[in-house]
Amino acid sequence: MLATPTRPDARSAPPGTAPRPPRIPAATWAIPLFYLGVTLFGMWWIDIRPGAIAAGLGDIARLLDRMVPPTTGPVPSLLTLVVETLWIAIAGTGIAAILSVPLSAAAASTYTGPRWVQWLCRALIVVTRAVPSLVFAIIFVRIFGLGPLAGALAVSVHSIGMIGKMMTDVFEEQSPQPREAIAATGATRVQAFFATTMTRALPQVSSFVLYRLDINIRASAVLGLVGAGGIGVALQTAIGSLDYRRAAGIIIVIIVLLMVLELVSFLVQRSLAEHSDTSTASQVFVPGKDAATPGWSTARGARALGVAAAVALFLAALSTLSIPFDRLARAGENAGALLSGFVPPVFTMDIAYGIFESVLMALTATSFGVVIGLIIAVLSTDHLVRARALGGALRAAVVVIRGVPDIIYALVFVAALGLGPFAGFLALAISCSALAAKFFTDALQNIDPAPLRALEAVGAGRLQAFVSGVWPQFVPSFIGNSLFTSDLALRESAVLGIVGAGGIGFLLQESVASVDYQTTAGILIGLVAVVVALEQLARWARRKVI
Amino acid sequence: MTADLTGPVSPAIPRSARTGPAAASITLAQVSKRFGDNEVLHGVDLTVRPGEFVALVGPSGAGKSTLLRLLNGGHLPTAGTVEVLGRNPAACSRRDLRELRTRIGFVFQQFGLVGRLTAMENVLMGALGSLAMPRYGIMTYPRRLRDQAVENLERVGLLEQRFQRCDTLSGGQQQRVAIARMLMQQAELVLADEPVASLDPAASISVLQTLKKLSAEDGFTVVCSLHQVDLALAVSDRVVAVRGGQFIMDTPTAATTEQDIRAVYAEHGSR
Repeated sequence: MLATPTRPDARSAPPGTAPRPPRIPAATWAIPLFYLGVTLFGMWWIDIRPGAIAAGLGDIARLLDRMVPPTTGPVPSLLTLVVETLWIAIAGTGIAAILSVPLSAAAASTYTGPRWVQWLCRALIVVTRAVPSLVFAIIFVRIFGLGPLAGALAVSVHSIGMIGKMMTDVFEEQSPQPREAIAATGATRVQAFFATTMTRALPQVSSFVLYRLDINIRASAVLGLVGAGGIGVALQTAIGSLDYRRAAGIIIVIIVLLMVLELVSFLVQRSLAEHSDTSTASQVFVPGKDAATPGWSTARGARALGVAAAVALFLAALSTLSIPFDRLARAGENAGALLSGFVPPVFTMDIAYGIFESVLMALTATSFGVVIGLIIAVLSTDHLVRARALGGALRAAVVVIRGVPDIIYALVFVAALGLGPFAGFLALAISCSALAAKFFTDALQNIDPAPLRALEAVGAGRLQAFVSGVWPQFVPSFIGNSLFTSDLALRESAVLGIVGAGGIGFLLQESVASVDYQTTAGILIGLVAVVVALEQLARWARRKVI
Repeated sequence: MTADLTGPVSPAIPRSARTGPAAASITLAQVSKRFGDNEVLHGVDLTVRPGEFVALVGPSGAGKSTLLRLLNGGHLPTAGTVEVLGRNPAACSRRDLRELRTRIGFVFQQFGLVGRLTAMENVLMGALGSLAMPRYGIMTYPRRLRDQAVENLERVGLLEQRFQRCDTLSGGQQQRVAIARMLMQQAELVLADEPVASLDPAASISVLQTLKKLSAEDGFTVVCSLHQVDLALAVSDRVVAVRGGQFIMDTPTAATTEQDIRAVYAEHGSR
């Protein structure tokens, strides 16, 4: 801080003393303080006491006892549902990827068309991002009836927001020169866009779409809870008929499925990364039969095969959706009734209460998750704690815990502890812990260990070295990732009510089931407003800190 | 090789014949361009004859880039009229402007290439204006255009690098790819906006000589903004100096000395 003699500043250093250290941004202490306040209030509201947790553990143990030995019931029908889950995710992700392209092109700041088109596309991306796919599933089941079509559409609409946001960012980060150069040759805007903008974005977009597919398979596994197809249907039936052994069997099948896919996704991503290495080699094609025709090499063959396989899978997935053409007319009527029923939206105290409870569950669970996640991350980071076996075990546990969708935890906790936000909080706390542990471990692994080693070399204790050598480097990513975790938790907590685990989800499902669409509209608007507001707040905080 | 269809137009039959043999490539009459309060060009007049190689010199911010963008319809004049290849860009519909642009090549300082694609794919993009749909990949372009791309790459000396990623080429090679891309348009007029400003001296000379040679072979007109005095004198037929939004010199290169051009910059520096 510079002080002039004419304007003395109380914060400036008096003459002759050492200069003040740089000011810590307010957000660095205000955000943790805010979370602490919300958490204390949330603990009172949700009634989180050590006694309640201990009693809850007993109930959960009794439920788990009723789940043993797990059974899957008839395997072929379960396998059919597993495959249906995959088709839903692939079709939904593919539709979203395709629709995101024009939407993002128009939403990007580089778009030169009419302003209203740009704002419409931006609004669509914001709204579809803010509303979780399970919420869309409830709505689409109402429009298209039970089945995988509603599920695939739900997955795709939510993914449009996610992929669209990412694509818009990628488009905006590009330098404009190649697009301008091609536009100057007399090419149309669409030609110039595909030749330059889309071509440059492809590596990032394809890797993000794969990542999204991974998330969507997870989401598709639970869409059946609201009747939108996939293996969740079997789970819902088993729990509804109190057949906990079968429910446990299905949960295990879901976990195994997600683990296997996690592995497949890892292998695909790795081979893509390796491929991107080979494509940076200067010669992309080998000479072909003449100068104007590129020849076939293994890399080109693999690339073509990969693209063909992806297209074939997507088309196959679309064909399995069994679009009920005869019922599409009724779907139009249903959609019309739904949309006209939205007007005017109703806002009641119940809606405010439900959204408030969802936010409280999410933020409280985030605080718990961040603390637990930090402990796990520190213990599983090699250069902080030299316990390889412990680190490996913790990392594996995090992968397994993350593999289970939040709503499945919520289902189990509701069955054990009864309806209410406590079950939802526990489910979110578990998933937030695993998520935060993953983020923090990644961040800690990337921290420069030199200051830590230097402090240890001068005789500082483990904790001292961590606080002085690691923590200052880690704070920005700690806060950034914590905010991101709470962002994800908020979306999840909005749907946990569907299985009775507190928050707005219950009212949302009720309003659709009882054809009270005005309330549905009120909830959706409230939800979008809260999610967008918190997202903006998080973005502001992240900018201040990072 | 179907040279009659796809090859560069023979200098014996200049494409400028389309607009009549006597028509000027460029006619500017009292052209001004203003961005907000800032008038970048004030009432300039210029006529460029077909086949001429005009070097546009002048300090940064003098209005050279604005002038070039007025010529391809990228900017519209605030006052005065611009006529390029017999058309007034300001009076063109979007479709007409695209049609006009297919006849005007543009070479940029930053090349404007897609780095992760091959030289061949980048060159082929120069033909997009003559095609109806977006394209992706070499084999989605018609055979005659692929042959033409190979020929153009050969003309700029990069046949061997046709399947090489552009971001692995040197700066000079990248600018040659951009020139080969421009050749795909079989343009009648080529605008070059400081095409060698990002290159080392050897590459600069080589790139400009290539441009000069191609212009002589194909008969296209060139308007090229340059900062290097020696290069301007080496390749152009005519030197036009811009300063403060006005033309302060317009002489045949043969009658221009290095001192004349240096004076344009020196006076600017001393102001």
